[in-house]
Amino acid sequence: MALLLPWVTGVVLVALDGRRRDVGWLAVAVLAATLALLAVLTAQVLTGGSRDVLTGGWPAGVGIVLHADVLGVTFATLSVLVLLAATAHEVLAGVRERVFPGLVLLLAGGLTGLFLTGDVFNFYVFFELAMTASYALTTYGGGPRQLRAAMVFAAVNLLGSFIFLISVAGTYRVTGVLAMHQVAERMPGVDPNAAILVAAGFFIAFSVKLGLFPFHFWLPTVYAGSRPAVAAILSGAVANIGAYGLLRFGPGMFPGQLRLAATALVVLGAVSLVYGAVLAVARGDVAESLAYSAIGQVGYVLVALGVGGPVGLTAAVLYSIVNALNKTLLFLAVEIRGVLVAGAFAVGALSVAGVPPAAGFVGKLEMFRAGIVVGSASLVVLLVVGSALSLVYMFQIYQGRFWRADPSAQGPASVLSLRLLTAAVALLVLATGLWPEPLLSVSGRAAEALTAESVGTAGAPG
Amino acid sequence: MILAFALAAAVLFGCGAYMLLKRDLLRVVGGIMLISQSAMVTIIGSSQSRGRAPIGVQPGDVVSDPLPQALALTALVIGLATVALLLALVHRVIVVFRTAEVDELAAGEAEHEAALEAQRQADRAEAS
Repeated sequence: MALLLPWVTGVVLVALDGRRRDVGWLAVAVLAATLALLAVLTAQVLTGGSRDVLTGGWPAGVGIVLHADVLGVTFATLSVLVLLAATAHEVLAGVRERVFPGLVLLLAGGLTGLFLTGDVFNFYVFFELAMTASYALTTYGGGPRQLRAAMVFAAVNLLGSFIFLISVAGTYRVTGVLAMHQVAERMPGVDPNAAILVAAGFFIAFSVKLGLFPFHFWLPTVYAGSRPAVAAILSGAVANIGAYGLLRFGPGMFPGQLRLAATALVVLGAVSLVYGAVLAVARGDVAESLAYSAIGQVGYVLVALGVGGPVGLTAAVLYSIVNALNKTLLFLAVEIRGVLVAGAFAVGALSVAGVPPAAGFVGKLEMFRAGIVVGSASLVVLLVVGSALSLVYMFQIYQGRFWRADPSAQGPASVLSLRLLTAAVALLVLATGLWPEPLLSVSGRAAEALTAESVGTAGAPG
Repeated sequence: MILAFALAAAVLFGCGAYMLLKRDLLRVVGGIMLISQSAMVTIIGSSQSRGRAPIGVQPGDVVSDPLPQALALTALVIGLATVALLLALVHRVIVVFRTAEVDELAAGEAEHEAALEAQRQADRAEAS
C-alpha cells in the first residue's frame, strides 16, 4: 500500500507540469501520506513482529514476497522522511523543471520497495527503479556541471548495478533460490570459494553506491555538481541503499563470509574515514567538503559492520540513520542565508562532529562502545581522530560560509518558510540527540532481527 | 556448455570495461551495454537444468529451468530503459557542450578548480 501510492502518483505527476506550485505541493502531500503509512507499518512491525505480504494472490514461492522487518521499515521511513524534506525545500524555493516532483515520487516508490522486498531479484528491480529516477534527478538544474555529474553518476552506478546483477545470477547458481531467507539458509552448504566470490560481488556493488574508499571516485563530482536539494536526496536517501544492502546482505545472508572479511572491512572503513576527513579539510568548496565528509562518514558504518556482533550492527544501523539526517540538513542549509540557517547549519556540523546535544553524539557513542567491546585501542584512537578532523572541517565550512567578511557571501536572506524548514530538520536532529531512546531501541532491534536470522541459519543443516 | 557461457560473459565484460574507459561518451554507453549483455549471459548460464523449453511438456521430459529466463527478460527490459536514458543524457550533453569527449567536459571542472584556488589565496592574503 505504501508502495503503490508514490508509484502511481509519480507516474501521473511526471506527465504534469511540476513547475506549477500545486503540483509540487501534491507531491509533498503524497510523500507525507507515504510517510504516515510507513509510520503505521513501523508501529505494527515493532509491536507484532515482521510481516509478509504476497502480491497478486500467488502461492508462496511463486508470487513476489514483500517482507517488512524492523531494519527494512526503519530505512524506508528514514528515506521517505529525507525525500519529504528535500522536496518541500525545493518546492518552497521554486521548482525549475517539470519532472522534478514526479521523479522524486518514483524514487520514493523504488526505495520503499527495495527496503521492503524479500527477494534478491526484486531487490535488483526496485534498485534499478530508484537509481533510474535518481540519474534523471541528478540532471536537475540542467547546467553543464549538473550534466557532467549525471553522466559520471549514471555510468559508474550502472556498472555497479550490473555487477550486482551478475552476483544475483551467481547466488541463484550456487543456491538455487532467490528469496533472501532461503538464500541465507542454504549459504552454509555452498562451496566456500563460490560463496566468497558472490559475496565480494555484492560488496563491490554496494560500496559503489555508498562511495566507500576504493570506489569513491565518482562521489565528489556528483555531490558537488548537483543542486543542493538533489545532493541532499542522493546522500540522505539514495546512499541508504548501500548501507541497507551491506547490512542486509552481509550479516543477513553471508555471515560466514563477513566474519572472514571482517579485518579487511575494518581496514577499508578506517582508510575511508581518514581519507574522507583529510580531503574534506583540504577542499575549499563547501559542497565538495561535504561530499568528502560523506565518504568519511560511511567509513564509520563499514568499521561498525566489520566489528560485527549485536553491538557493532546496532552502531552501524544507528550511524547510517544519523548520518542520513545530518547530510540532508547540511546540504539543504548550504545554499540559503538568514538568521535561523546559521544555527541549523551549526547543529548539523556539531552533529557530524559528534558533540553532545546533537544526534551525531549518540551515533559516535555507539561506535565507541563497539570499539571498546572488541577491546581494540587503535580503533578507539582512530574514531577520536576521525571526530576531531570532522570538527575541524565543519568549523572551516562554517567560518567560510557564515563569518566571512566578503560581501559576495552575504546574499539577502532567503524566504522565511525555507529557513523554517531547515530549522525544523535541525530540531529533528537535536531531538533525536536529546531523546535517543526510541532510535537506540529501534536500531538494536533491527540488528537483533539480522543476527537472529543468521543464528537460525547457522543452526539449520546446510 | 557452462564454459562457453562463462567465456562469452567474460569476453563481453572485458570488451565493455575497455570501451567504458574510452573518451568518447557514445563508446562509454556502448561499454555499459556490453556489460549488461554479459550480465544476461551470466543469468542464463546460471540455470539449474537444461532441456526443452518448459511449454507443453510431456511427463518425463527434461525441461530447462524457466526462472533464469524470466529474470533475463526482466533484466533486458530494465537494461533497455537505462540505456535509453543514458543515450538521452549523452544527447543532452552534446547539445549543451557541443562535444562528446570526456576531456572537454573536464575543462569545465578545471575552471571551477581554478576559481577555488583563487578564493583560497584570497583567504590566505586576508589572514596574513
